[in-house]
Parts: sequence; structure tokens; C-alpha cells
Amino acid sequence: MDPLKTLTALIDRPESLSGADRPEGLGRTGMLGYAVGTLSLFAFMRMQSAVPPGVFSFLAVLLFVLAANFFFAGIIHLFMDLTGVQGSASRLFLAFGCSDLLLALLLPLGLLARGGLLNAFVGLCLGFLLVICARVALVRRLYPVSKNKALLSVWLPYFGLSAVFFSAFIYGLAWSIWLLM
Amino acid sequence: MEEQPKTEAAPAAEQPKPAQRGGGTAAWLKALVVLYALALVAAGIAIGKADIARKNRKDMDISELSSIGKKKKPAVGVVEIYGAISQGASSRSWERGSGQIAKRIQALSEDKDVKAILLDINSPGGSVGSVQEIYSEIKRAKAATKKPFVARFGEVSASGGYYVASACDLIVAQPGTITGSIGVIFSVSNFDGLMKKVGVKNEAIKSGKFKDIGSPTREMTADERKLLQGLIDDSYEQFVAAVAEGRRMPVEKVKPLADGRIYSGRQARELGLVDRMGDLQDALDAAGELAGIGHNPRVVRESAPFDQLMSLVDSKLQPFGPASMAQKIEAAPSLEYRWYGN
Repeated sequence: MDPLKTLTALIDRPESLSGADRPEGLGRTGMLGYAVGTLSLFAFMRMQSAVPPGVFSFLAVLLFVLAANFFFAGIIHLFMDLTGVQGSASRLFLAFGCSDLLLALLLPLGLLARGGLLNAFVGLCLGFLLVICARVALVRRLYPVSKNKALLSVWLPYFGLSAVFFSAFIYGLAWSIWLLM
Repeated sequence: MEEQPKTEAAPAAEQPKPAQRGGGTAAWLKALVVLYALALVAAGIAIGKADIARKNRKDMDISELSSIGKKKKPAVGVVEIYGAISQGASSRSWERGSGQIAKRIQALSEDKDVKAILLDINSPGGSVGSVQEIYSEIKRAKAATKKPFVARFGEVSASGGYYVASACDLIVAQPGTITGSIGVIFSVSNFDGLMKKVGVKNEAIKSGKFKDIGSPTREMTADERKLLQGLIDDSYEQFVAAVAEGRRMPVEKVKPLADGRIYSGRQARELGLVDRMGDLQDALDAAGELAGIGHNPRVVRESAPFDQLMSLVDSKLQPFGPASMAQKIEAAPSLEYRWYGN
């Protein structure tokens, strides 16, 4: 199915996402979303000379985005499952891909940043905030949960990773002190 | 009967509404796709311009960055030569072999702010090739830049440590420093008796009679001993020549001192192997004087805190790694300018 038609159907009838049958073309649209989102993110970062050029560089970013979203979708689904809420993890992963289409906004924001009209970091934050908001809405469509719980579940992997990095940093610091002592 | 068309007409009337809505969504989605394509083209141009600007920009030197805000002042560069000198097969930058020491000497000699170079030596020497690598780099740097080189001896600077120092313009040592040991050594263990006891026999198939020279599994032959002695004599002559040239002494005067014996710093001074007594500060002052920048000069040391941290971590983790054990087992006999007394 044409990804545009799938998107139109999802925007006009978002309830179809949680229907008995998976919306037609969701898989293709989700993966296209990841590709377009990553391309936009990559172009934004290239405009700021933050990543090296080349196909392999883009593929590395794409692989990272796919792996991170796969992990995030898994964690959110696990959280929902543990709290007794039923839903589909694969649909969540693909829906996240659709939400990544919003990262297309990074292209005009990047151009504004290049022109000195906007801070690049603010632009990046704006893009990601938009994606987070869309994801909260999508989680609410896929799982019958409150807005707060959806918000918590979307932020949960970020909090988890931050906690892991913070703990590793503190342990590293303590270990360095132990080495010097 | 009258109500029937009414109920059928109601959904029929509502039918076009979602269709219209869907059509509208599809239309603005298509418009967004077109806008996205245009933005992609614009982004491509912006990226191209950014890349060109980046290529045209001069590469910034890290050393320039690190010295921002610091007042440029003539300085004495210090190179530390600690421990046994070897080529070093490790890719780890903190395991400094002769190559890295030579590179450091080259970098300091090319630094315009460094007016003199001080070699802080605390080494019993090392393999002939690696010692000569440092020696030749000092000679090259001296010839190219005319910067004075000063050697400073701490606890030990014997054999290869002294060989390196002999290329310097001035040698400063502590009265109690152990130095000298001018000579060459090639040692090999003989496990023949042990192998016979445990019933192990080694067979070597070789292309020539000297191919397994220095083998620890058998007694050394007279021919091999003669050949090795020739090799050692040649390396010894090179050592004596280097000392004679560096210390501006006739070879005939160096040879009696170069029988492998060690000297204290004070004895070495009396024999002309060392110029003056003093500590690190004295050596720095002497380097400053030679360079014409006076006493207590600014010192440029290796400021690599990351390397130092990694070295610390590595030294703590070494007992867990098999590398240290493998290094000990695989240690092959080699020709060395080294003193084994410490």
C-alpha cells in the first residue's frame, strides 16, 4: 500500500491502529518513517558538521536509530505488560517509525540554524519534543492508558539509560579515586 | 414506510464527509512531501557550503589551542627516560618505547618556545638498537636546531642510559648516581641439563650451523661463541666511539674506563664522564644557562593526563592480563647496552 495512503488513514482514523487487524502498510510506512527521520537528523547534523559525510556514516546513524527505537519500544511494552496493560510491541515499534516522520521538521530548522536565526540545539530539542508528544499520543492509541502513564512510559527508557550512565560515571569516579589512593 | 428512506439516507449523507477529510489530509501530506524534497535540496546545498568552508579553514594546532591565554615564554623541554629502554611493540601510547622517546625529542626540538632540552634519565640501558635510535635522534636534533641538550642522572644511568647521555652537551649527576657500565652484553640461559632431567629433547632443523645461535636448549659451540664475541666487540666499538665523540675524549682514554664497571656520580666526574654534580633543578638551571634564558626557566613537560591515567589503570590491571606472562616467556636473548646490577 502507498505509504501516503497509510499515513492518511492513520491521521484520519487513528483508532485503526489499535484495531483487531494491523493497519495495511504500517510496516512499510514505519520503516520509511525511520529512514526519512534519520535522513533529516543526519542532514541536520551534517549542516552543523557534527557527523562525518558518507553513506556508511548515514547507515551507522540509521542503525543506531533503529536499535534505540527497538530497545525503547521493547522497554515500553515490557512496562505496560508488567502493569497489566495489553498491546502490541511490533505495532508500537512501527508507530514510533511513523512518529519519526516529524523529524523532517529538522531540515528547515537546520537551515534556520545555518542562517543564524535559530540555535541549533534549540532546533534539535524542538524536533525531539515534537516526536515525544506524538509518541505519547501513539502510546495512548495502542494501549488503553492515561496520559500521565503514557508520558511516563515514553520517558522511562531515557530515565533508565540516564540512571545507568550516572551509576557508571559515579562508579568510574570512585574507581579512579581508589586507583590514585 | 416514510421513515425508511430517512434512516438509509442519513449514512449516505454522512459518507462524503470522511472521504473529503481523507482527500484533504492526502493533499496536505503531498504538499509536505514536496516541501520536504525542496528542503532536502536546500540542505544539500547548505551541507556542500559547510564542507567547502571547513576544507578552506586552516587546521588548528592542538598545541596552539592549549596555549591560548598562556603567556609565551622561552622554556626548557624535559624528556623522561625511565626504566629499561626497548623498542616497545605495544600500540599503547603510554608504554613508551625508544620510538616514542625519539618522537618526543623531535617534537620538542621543533617547538620554537623550547630553547633547550633536558633528558631526565633513570635507566639501566636497554637493547642496542633502541638505545641507538634515541642517540641518533638527539644527534639529528642537535645538528638541525643547534639547541643545547642536557642529561640529568637520578638513581641509575648506566650502560645504554649513559650511551644516550653521551650525545648531550652537558651531563649533570648526583654524587651517588650509579653510572658507567660502558659495554655490551649478550646473555642466554642453558636449560640443557634441566631438559635432560625432565626428559624433554629439542630438535632443530636448520639451514646453516649458526641458525639457532643462542638457543637455550643446548651448550654453545666454540664457533658460536667466537661469532657472538665479534658481534659484541663491534657494538662495543660503537659505544666507545659514541662516548669518545660526545665527551670529546680520545678513544684510547675511553677504553680503559669502558670495561663494564660502574661508577658513582662523583667518580664519573673525576674521570670526565660527567660534567657537574647536581639535582634536577641544577640541571634545569644549567640548560637555561646554555640556552641563554637564565636560571629557573619555564619547563615544558609531557602533559598527557589521559595517558598517565591509562598507564595507572594498565599497571593495576596488568596482573590479570596474560600479556605480561607471555612477554616473560617469549623473551628472546638480545644484544644489550644494559647493566643488570639493579
